[in-house]
Amino acid sequence: MSIHILFEGIDEPGLNRLEVYQRRGGYQALRTALAMSREDVLGELLTSEIRGRGGAGFQMGKKISFLPRGDMDKYLVCNADESEPGTFKDRELMQKSPHMLIEGIVIASYAAGIGRSFIYIRGEYDYQADILEAAIAEAYEAGYLGEQILGSDHSLSLVLHRGAGAYICGEETGLLDSLEGKRGNPRLKPPFPAIQGLYQGPTLINNVETLSTVPHIIRMGAAQYAEIGTQTSTGTKLVSISGDVQRPGNYEIALGIPSREIIYGLAGGPADGREVKLWFPGGSSAPVLTKDDLDVPYDFDSLAKAGTMLGSGAIIVVDDSHRVLDVAYKLAKFYAHESCGKCVPCREGTNWTVKMLQRIEAGEATPMDLDIMASVQDEIIGNCLCVLGDAMAMPVGSIIKKFRAELEEHIEAARERAGIGSLENVIPVGVADAHAGPLPVH
Amino acid sequence: MPRPEQKEIQFTIDGREVRAIEGAMLVDAAKHGDVEIPFFCYEPKLGNPVGACRMCLVEIEGIPKLQTSCSTPVKDGMVVHTQTDRVHAAQNAVVEFLLVNHPLDCPVCDKGGECPLQDITFGWGRGRSRFIEPKRHFVKPLSLSPLVAIDRERCILCYRCVRFSQEVAEDYQLIFAERGAHTYVSTFDGHPYVAPFSGNIIELCPVGALTSKPYRFRARPWDIEGAGGICTLCPSQCNVQFTVRDETVMRVLARENDEVDDGWLCDKGRFAYQSIHVDERIAAPLVRDGGELREVSWERALSVAAGLARHRGRVGALVGGQATNEEGFLLQSLMRQGLESPDIDSRGRASVPLELGRALAAPSLQAAVPDLEFAHTVLVLGCEPLDDAPILDLRIRKGVRRRGVNLAIASARPSALDANAKLSLRYPPGTEAAFLAELAAALAGPPSSGDISALAKLLLEGGEDVVILWGERVAADALPTLLRIAERLGLSGRAGAGLLEVPSGANGRGLREAGVLPGVGPGYAPAPAGRSAAQIAAAAADGRLTALYLFQTDPVRELPDRALWEAALHRAALVVAHASVLTEGIREHAAVVFPAESHAEKEGTVVHPDGRLQRLRGAIGHPNQVRAGWSVLAEISARVGHDQGVLTSPMAWEQLVAAVPFYAGLTLQEIGGRGVRWPDRAQAAQMPAGSAPSAPAPPGGSASSAPVAGAPANGGLRLGSYRPIWASPEVEISPALKFTICRQHVELSPQDAARLGIDHGEAVEVSQLDGSSAAYSGEAGSQARGKLEGTRVHGTAAVRSGVPQGTAFLADGIAQDSANELTEAVVEVRKP
Repeated sequence: MSIHILFEGIDEPGLNRLEVYQRRGGYQALRTALAMSREDVLGELLTSEIRGRGGAGFQMGKKISFLPRGDMDKYLVCNADESEPGTFKDRELMQKSPHMLIEGIVIASYAAGIGRSFIYIRGEYDYQADILEAAIAEAYEAGYLGEQILGSDHSLSLVLHRGAGAYICGEETGLLDSLEGKRGNPRLKPPFPAIQGLYQGPTLINNVETLSTVPHIIRMGAAQYAEIGTQTSTGTKLVSISGDVQRPGNYEIALGIPSREIIYGLAGGPADGREVKLWFPGGSSAPVLTKDDLDVPYDFDSLAKAGTMLGSGAIIVVDDSHRVLDVAYKLAKFYAHESCGKCVPCREGTNWTVKMLQRIEAGEATPMDLDIMASVQDEIIGNCLCVLGDAMAMPVGSIIKKFRAELEEHIEAARERAGIGSLENVIPVGVADAHAGPLPVH
Repeated sequence: MPRPEQKEIQFTIDGREVRAIEGAMLVDAAKHGDVEIPFFCYEPKLGNPVGACRMCLVEIEGIPKLQTSCSTPVKDGMVVHTQTDRVHAAQNAVVEFLLVNHPLDCPVCDKGGECPLQDITFGWGRGRSRFIEPKRHFVKPLSLSPLVAIDRERCILCYRCVRFSQEVAEDYQLIFAERGAHTYVSTFDGHPYVAPFSGNIIELCPVGALTSKPYRFRARPWDIEGAGGICTLCPSQCNVQFTVRDETVMRVLARENDEVDDGWLCDKGRFAYQSIHVDERIAAPLVRDGGELREVSWERALSVAAGLARHRGRVGALVGGQATNEEGFLLQSLMRQGLESPDIDSRGRASVPLELGRALAAPSLQAAVPDLEFAHTVLVLGCEPLDDAPILDLRIRKGVRRRGVNLAIASARPSALDANAKLSLRYPPGTEAAFLAELAAALAGPPSSGDISALAKLLLEGGEDVVILWGERVAADALPTLLRIAERLGLSGRAGAGLLEVPSGANGRGLREAGVLPGVGPGYAPAPAGRSAAQIAAAAADGRLTALYLFQTDPVRELPDRALWEAALHRAALVVAHASVLTEGIREHAAVVFPAESHAEKEGTVVHPDGRLQRLRGAIGHPNQVRAGWSVLAEISARVGHDQGVLTSPMAWEQLVAAVPFYAGLTLQEIGGRGVRWPDRAQAAQMPAGSAPSAPAPPGGSASSAPVAGAPANGGLRLGSYRPIWASPEVEISPALKFTICRQHVELSPQDAARLGIDHGEAVEVSQLDGSSAAYSGEAGSQARGKLEGTRVHGTAAVRSGVPQGTAFLADGIAQDSANELTEAVVEVRKP
């Protein structure tokens, strides 16, 4: 059920220090990789068919092969902005085994012919950032970073950058803007970062977990790694389970095992006497599944077939003690708060959805409003600049679809609670900062 | 970068086969098939699309998601649908989303009636909203700047203004604050958005969020008419549209002409229209009576001016940059034929001999404005585009930002473009000759180290298309070397390369072609030798000239050596002036003042610095008793016995065309609203060939008073001068622009400021060192000299890091404490 590759010995005290990491065979994969040609290392990554662990699930080797060849400045950016609600696997990796990430970055940059790299870590991960900074300094000292690494012709600089607290900066192009010192807003794609990314140069962006897996692929051999998991979802995945389960936390699984094994087997399921009402299989932006879907195999394609996604691999379980209205409201509020405001459907759609949900809670809605809300979600999906709008519209839309009866009950109950209060009294007024900016015109 | 080649392709839109340029954005290409795709944020002038508004979504076969047509380049064989249910649903949705937080206060909104949001809502919206919740609220309207009001509730966050500030003007002042639905456009800490091009955001705004304060609530779109015109407040000669209501100019908008202005205006051009309708403007003819200028009848004023006939042979004339070609032509004819006085000039500074002038104006050597954008290398020599021709500053920025132009700056004063330049070189003020001689030597010689060699390398190796943008302030003794450099770089006859001169006067180039230069007749024909501006001043000061004709210029304010000009005007028995504002020299010395037309009233032609003939057409009738400049000149001419037979402005144009061989055959119809670049016409071959003086000045030792590099030995500072963008009487009398009125800022290097114990912003006093070397003769001359020795210019210290040590820069052309009070090359700056 549980398999340990990334998490092998992860709890060993002092693993964050170079000495311990090396004693456990750390940086051997880097030596192996540097002894190979760049093409062979890339070939290994392609053979492993490892898919990105950040959310989109795009094959890492393919992404590298999209980078143009040539002498231009190319960049590798490690996305450590882990901001998807329910996701906390990268935090554990960086905190406990930072050198694994660094080793992965060096190998990936070697395969892609990249000379400069960055780790963009979310500002809240202050403790982890300190650990990483110390590890980077150790790696420079030991010659694993810097000029001519281990006597090879590969040189790499690595800079840790701390974010300032925005969900959108986990979106790869928003991250690049933020890293460049601009307001973190997503960019139009195409051009994709692999062609034109950081400072207009070709850029490889990968998640912490993906990059941390790279040394293991080199160590085990790609063919052997690819045998783990399913045909199209190879390898292991870290899963963060939270919510109404008895043993929440991070678990490493082989892709393709039944979801029930994770939720009930590893995490112990909901408390006694409760049952799963709905669960998010891949972070809060994945369309929700219900207790009927617990046997869906946990891999990229099976979840896609079930109408949802594996996303960041964060399972959030909601049991029958919670109202779906609260779940939807919390979701919508989060995404309305985090919407960058650049494109219209996301900016206005998330904000409108929050107001509609508030209206339901205030007893001012009718079941017809659920149709409007569902249609607003449809109008957001696919029409936005990046996927943040979809990230709210997909789960909220799926909740309206799957729990319509319950929502109608909430509407009725709220109307009864509200009685015949006048409109002004029941509608909460959201007012932006009215005092910002210069003085009024006279 | 040279202009990219354009290839035609075919694609299908809504079932129609349409041909378009490959790589054009779908939203533009669709127009070839008569398909309109709505959009808000798309504006190609602002650079790459952002795809923020999502209004332009279309369906493209083979792509599952709807695509933003503003960011999708059209490809051969593409099949596009804009009329499917999916597309309609998306468009309806975006309109509904946009109106979620829009106040819909159209009846009281300035934009109502000319609002893209209204039009698109009407054309592509559902017609009703399902949104019944409360909208977002802001305090409104607020002052974004003294010129622009912002209503954040109306804002649809389309990014246009912010992109303009960050990617076009590059002032980086406008930003977004907050995020999500609470996002709003702001500046850092609410500081006012004051920048030379800030007004453009008003025109860019697709809703009523950014409105012009001078225009707010003055008119509705159905009250107004648009009238095309040219702004002649500076040599950029931007194409404008005057918004006219009841014979009053209410507003100025850009009239996009890529060949001239790229669709932008500076704030001077956009707001100084207010000077047309203010009380400070001269409304009727004035005659000095008992020491005071008094309003008189036209008859009386014309008869006083006809008194010029008594000064035959002893009249000097100066023509300002706002004069049209026709006015210049009529005036030179009046002077040369009517008054037998060849002393007429339109160049304020050094005079350029006929042959050299012809060589510099040779059609094969002229670069056009768009060449600044597509050249390999642009060298800005001795001018500051931001001050001298602001819109060229934006064009150069565009070239550097979007086309990778190599920019080099060689100037005495630090430039606003320094940050964009590959190389910025500084030379002491007035030493262009020595600098260019060194550059010429570096271009000819073997590669070596040093800044000038680096510049030579850039010019030689950066690519063949080199444009040299230079200003009239470049010392005249440097010009033969400039021609040799142009020859060395092979600029002559090369499309996309050449010289582009920014004259001091708005129509400086046109006036030269019309013969308003000493010894140069219309069409650069030889004419009897005459005095240059400086010589006219000296001659009038010592009585050799007894009358002066000032056509829309006040030399006391505009030209160097204020004391000498005051003496000259004081001594002259008759000073005839055309002016719209009573500036000091006119107010104190003119015997008769004719009210001058504004650029919204004039009819005639002007010539852009790149040789484009442009047409001014009266947008409004003449207010008060103002009469057309050409008619006044024709009338005076007739009264002094030289009837030019001109009854309309086009008749003056006919005479001009007959006299200028390289204009031959050109009609006003042909010039039309876009202008015609005469150097591109076959008749340009009729331009007489010029030549540079054969013996070029030796390096370093050319100019009489050229100071050597380094600080002057006597502890003084070398004086450089500049003309700020706001230094003009029109700005001073425009109420909205009062906050820009220039006061003297003495620019000092941090080192000198520290040495002199002067802090930024402190009051300073500038006096001359070695003032006795000025050569004046006669009684008036000695008075002038006496005055110079005691001259003190007061100003505020501006410590600027780019200023070379040993130099101080002072503004001229301003109303008070102008640098033209100083005549010496070395000054002393101290706290008073």
